[in-house]
Amino acid sequence: MENSDMDPEEAYEPSEMFENEEAKSGASTQEDEEDPDMKVDEEPYEIHEKQILPQRVINLNRDLTTLVTNIQTAADAKESLRRAELEEARRLRLERLEKDLKSSQEIFEEITRGWSLSTQRAIPQELHEALNNQQQLCDALIEDKKKLINDLQQELKVGDDRYVKDLRKQTEELDLMMERMEDQIKTLIKAYREELTQIERVYTQESEILLTKDKIEWDQHMKGLWEEELKRLKQRTVKVEEYENIIHNLMIETWSKHSIIQTKQHASFQVLERESKQLRMAKFTKTHTRHEIAESKFSLTNIKTRLSRMKKQMANLSDKYKSQRDEFTKKSRYLSEDYKRKIKQYERIQKQLKHFAVADGRKFEEMWLMIDAEVKQLVERALDIDSQICKQHLGVAWERPVMGFMELCGPIQPQGVPQLLHTGQDSQDSQRMMDPSVRKEIEAEGSAVQTESGAEEEEEKLPMETLKGVMELLCDKAGFLMEDKLLKLLIPLGKEEQTVVKLGSLLPYIGIEEEDIPKLAAFLLKYRHQQREQTEDVCDGSAESNNKAEEEETEPTTHLTSDLDPYDVVPALKSFLRQHMRSRESSARQHLHEAARDSSEDEAYWQSMGSVICEDQLRLWDTAENKLRQYQAVLAEISALVPETESLQQQNRELRMLLQQTLKVSTDLEM
Amino acid sequence: MSRSPDPPAAADPRQLRRIIAEDAHWFLNTVPSLSNLCLQSIVNHFEERPIWEGLSPVHKDFVQERLSTSMPLHVTANLIHDGVYWKRCCENRGGIRDLTHYGNSWKRMFFEKHMENMIELFIPDVTEPKTFVEMVPLCKDYIKRLNISQLLPPVTEPQKKEEEYGSELVIENEDGPSMDHFDFNIMLDKLTNLEEFHVVYRVKQCGLNFECKMFEMTHRDCESLAKAVKSCKTLKILRLNLSHMEDTKCRLLVKYLLDHPSLRELDLSHNLIGDKGARAIGKLLNRSSLETLNLCDNNIGGPGAKALAHALSMNSTLLSLNLRLNRLRDEGGQAIGKALLNNNTLLLLHLGANEVTWPSAIALSKVLVQRSTLKSLNLSCNNLGVDGGKALEEAMSNNSSLTECDIRLTEVEEQSASFVNQVVWTNQSLEQRRHARESKTKKTSTAVY
Repeated sequence: MENSDMDPEEAYEPSEMFENEEAKSGASTQEDEEDPDMKVDEEPYEIHEKQILPQRVINLNRDLTTLVTNIQTAADAKESLRRAELEEARRLRLERLEKDLKSSQEIFEEITRGWSLSTQRAIPQELHEALNNQQQLCDALIEDKKKLINDLQQELKVGDDRYVKDLRKQTEELDLMMERMEDQIKTLIKAYREELTQIERVYTQESEILLTKDKIEWDQHMKGLWEEELKRLKQRTVKVEEYENIIHNLMIETWSKHSIIQTKQHASFQVLERESKQLRMAKFTKTHTRHEIAESKFSLTNIKTRLSRMKKQMANLSDKYKSQRDEFTKKSRYLSEDYKRKIKQYERIQKQLKHFAVADGRKFEEMWLMIDAEVKQLVERALDIDSQICKQHLGVAWERPVMGFMELCGPIQPQGVPQLLHTGQDSQDSQRMMDPSVRKEIEAEGSAVQTESGAEEEEEKLPMETLKGVMELLCDKAGFLMEDKLLKLLIPLGKEEQTVVKLGSLLPYIGIEEEDIPKLAAFLLKYRHQQREQTEDVCDGSAESNNKAEEEETEPTTHLTSDLDPYDVVPALKSFLRQHMRSRESSARQHLHEAARDSSEDEAYWQSMGSVICEDQLRLWDTAENKLRQYQAVLAEISALVPETESLQQQNRELRMLLQQTLKVSTDLEM
Repeated sequence: MSRSPDPPAAADPRQLRRIIAEDAHWFLNTVPSLSNLCLQSIVNHFEERPIWEGLSPVHKDFVQERLSTSMPLHVTANLIHDGVYWKRCCENRGGIRDLTHYGNSWKRMFFEKHMENMIELFIPDVTEPKTFVEMVPLCKDYIKRLNISQLLPPVTEPQKKEEEYGSELVIENEDGPSMDHFDFNIMLDKLTNLEEFHVVYRVKQCGLNFECKMFEMTHRDCESLAKAVKSCKTLKILRLNLSHMEDTKCRLLVKYLLDHPSLRELDLSHNLIGDKGARAIGKLLNRSSLETLNLCDNNIGGPGAKALAHALSMNSTLLSLNLRLNRLRDEGGQAIGKALLNNNTLLLLHLGANEVTWPSAIALSKVLVQRSTLKSLNLSCNNLGVDGGKALEEAMSNNSSLTECDIRLTEVEEQSASFVNQVVWTNQSLEQRRHARESKTKKTSTAVY
C-alpha cells in the first residue's frame, strides 16, 4: 500500500525491473539452451555406463551454469538489498515528514494563536510587533518547508544518480553474463567435441583390440587346423608307405610261392615224365623188368589212362591229318587244273597278241601306203601349182626339184620290224643291228659272257642233279649272307630241306628269282670252263686239263662240285648277276621296240615331203599373191567401168544417130 | 569467315538464315508454355477473379511464387494454404522469425505478426476499430499466440498543451477515459484458436516523451482485459508483465479469471501485487486448474504468503510456484513450508530473495524429509545462516528426490553447502538413470508390441 504512493524513485522501477526481467529471461534461455545439450550428451553416456562417466562434462556444465547464474543471484541479492534500503529510506522519510508535520503543525498553531492574539491587540505598535512576529514564524515555517523540499529533492537526485548507476551496472552485468554464456557455450562445445573424439578413440581402440584379438584367434585356429591337417597327411603317407611295403612283400611272397610251386610242379612233372619214360622203357623191356612194373604198379594205371587218352588223341589227329590231306590233295588238284587252264589262256592270249601284231602291221602298211599316195599326189599338185606360178605368172623357168623319196613305196624300214616280229627271241643279228652299243658293252664286259640264247639252250640240257649240286654249292659259299640264327635252326633238318630253305632266304638277297636258278647253274658251269680255258691258255694247255675238260663236258654232274673252285663262285656269281640284270633290261627294251617302232625317220620323211616347196619359193608365192591381188583389184575396177563405157558408147551412138537425123532433116529442109 | 559479304553471299538464301550462337541467353524455351501464360494471367488478375481450388499442386506452387504480397488479405487469407506465398509475405513484412516457434506454419507466423503489429500500432480514438472487426474473421483460425509488446496510449498532445498553459486544475480532468488503451474485448472472444496471450502495457522507444502513465494499465483497461480473457475459452497461458498492476486491479482480474476452463499458466511477474492481491490469487488457485504460477518481483508480504500457503495446502494441480523477489519473510516462508507438508503435487518452488531466514529453512527441511515430490528448491539470496544450512544438510541426507537446490548467497557454511550439492548431484544422476531405464523399458515395450 505504501508503494502505491508515487515515489519518484518508484517511477523508474518498471524499466529497472524490465532490465531485471530481461536478465532473468536471458538466464532462462541460457538454461533452456543447456538443457537439451545435457539431455543429448548424457543419454549416450547412460547407455555406455561401463565407460568412464563424463564427470568432467557434468562438472563443467554445473560450474559454468553456476558461474552464469551467480550474476543473476547477485543481482537478486542486490535488488532485495536495495528494496530493504528503499524501505528503510521510506520509513526514515516518513518519520521525518511526520516530525516535520508535527513541528510545522505546532508553528502553525502558534501562528493561528498569534492571529487570534493579534486581533485582540489594538495598539498598532503591538500589532505591528505581532505581525512581525507572525511573519517571522511564517518565514521560519516556509524555510523549514523549503529546507525539507530541498532535502527531498536532493534525495531524489541521489536516487536518480543511483538509478542511473544501477542501470549501468546492470548493463555491465548483462554484458558479463552474455560473455560468460558465450564462453560457456564455447567451452562446452569444446568439451563435447573432446568427449566425442575420446569416445571415438575409445571405440576405435576397442574395435581394434577386438579385431586383433579375433585375428590372433583366427590365426591360432588356422595354425592348429594346418598342423592337424599336416599330421594327418603325414600319417596318411606313412600308412600308404606301410601298405605299399606290405603289398610289395605280399607280391614277393606270392611270387616266390608261385615260383616254388612252379619249380615243384616242374620237378614233379619231370619226375612224372621220367617215370613215364621209364615206364615206356619198362614197357619196351617188359620181359626184363617185370619186377619194376610191380614196383610202379601204382603209377601204371595212371599212365595207362594217359596212354589211352594219348592214343585217342593220336587217332583224332590222324583222322584230322587224313581229312586235311584229302582236302589239300583236292585243292592241289583243283589248283593245278586251274593253273593249266591259265597257261592255256596265256598261250591263247599270246597267239592273239601275235595275230594282232601282224594285223596291226598290215594295217599300218596299208595306211602308210594310202597316206603316202595321197601326200605324193598333194606334192605333185603343189609342184604343179608352183610350176604354173613360175611359168605363167612369173615367166621363170621352173625346175622339178630332186625327190628321192618319191620313188619309195611303203613304210620306211619295212624289212626291220616284220623281221623282229617273226624271228622272236632268236634274232640275234637283228638285235645287234638295232642296238650296236649294247652289244658292244656286253662284249666289253668280258668274253666270259655268253649270249642268253646259249644259256637258254643249255638250260634244258642241265640235269636236275647238277642243279642240285650247284644249289648246294651256292648255299655253302654264300652262307655268309644268311643269318646265324637261321643256320642254327636249320641244323636239325635234312640236307635237302636245308638247301631249299637257304635258297629261299638267299635268292631274295641276291635278287634272283627261282626261275633263273637253272640259268645261274649253267652260267656257273660255263664260267668255270672259261676259267679253265684261260688257265690252260696261260699254261699253254696241258693235256690233262684238256682231258678234264672233256670229262667234265661229258660228265659234268659227277665232277661239278669238286671241279668248281669255291673261290671262283663269288666272282662268278657277281658277273652272272651283272649280266642277268643287263639281259633283263635289254629284254624290256626289246619289248618297247616291238610295241612302238622307231618313228624318228618317219618324221624326217614326212618333213621332206612337207618341204617340197622351199622357203624362197614360199616367199615368192606370197609376193606373187599380193601382186595378183592388186591385179585382180585393177581388173575388178576395169570390169566395173566396162558397163559405164558401154553406156557411154551407146549414148554416143544415139547422139550420132540424132546428129545424122538432124543432119538429114537439115538437108531435107535445105532441099 | 574471311570471305567478304559479296553479292554471292546475298544471293544464297541459306547464308542469310543464321542462328546467332554467340547469344548466351538464347534458349529454345524462350517462348513460355500456354499453361504458364494462363497461370501468369491468373496471378495478374487474382484480386478480381481468384482462381485457386481448381489448380493442380504444381500450378499452385507456380502461383504462390508469383502472387503479389500486397494482395488484400480478405482475398488470400482463407484461400491460399500455408506455403511459399506466406513466407514471401513474412519476408515482405520485415524479417522472419524462428519457424519452429510457430508450429512450422508460415501462415500462422504471418497472421500472428500481422495482428500483433496492428494491435501494437493501435491508437485509441484514432485508429478505426472497424479494421479489427474486419480482420478477425480472416485470421481467427490461424492465430494461436499473441505476444503484444506494447500498447500505445491515446494521443494526448493537445491536452499537454493545455497543461502547459493552464493551471493544475486541468489535471483532474485528465483522469478521464481517454487514457485507456486498446480494448481487447472486440476481438479476443472471436479468436477461437488462441492459446497464449502475452500483454505488456508499455510503450517502446518512448524517448523524451516519457510519462509514467505510459507504463501503467488503467482500471478500465484491466476490466476490459479481464472480460476479454474470460470470454476467450481456449486460452491456456496468460502473461501480464510490467504493467503496474496493483492489488485492486489484480483482484479485479482474478475475479474474472475464477473458474476459467482452460487456463494453465498465469504469469504476473514484475508488477506491484501486494498481500491483498496475493490473497485473491490464492483464492484463484483453488478455483481453477492452474499448473504454473509466476509472481516474481512483486510486493507480496507475509500475510499474502500465508494466504497462498493456505491455498497450496488444499491444491492438487499446481506444479510450479515462483515467488522470487518478494518480501515473504519468515512468516510467509514458514507458512509455505507447513503448507507443503500437505501438498503432493508441487515440483518447483522458488523463494529467492525473500528475506527468509533459518526458521523457514528448518520448515522446508522438514518438507524435504517427509515429502519426496519437490524436485527443485531455490533459496538463494536469503540469510539462512549456519543453522538453516545445517538443517538443510540434515534434511538432504535423508532425501533422494531433490535434483536442484540453490543456496547461494545464503551465508550457509561451505561444508553444508557442498554436502547439499553433492546430494543433489547424486540425485540428478539417479534421476537420469531412472529416466534412461524408463525410456529403455518404453522402447522394449514398444518393441514387444
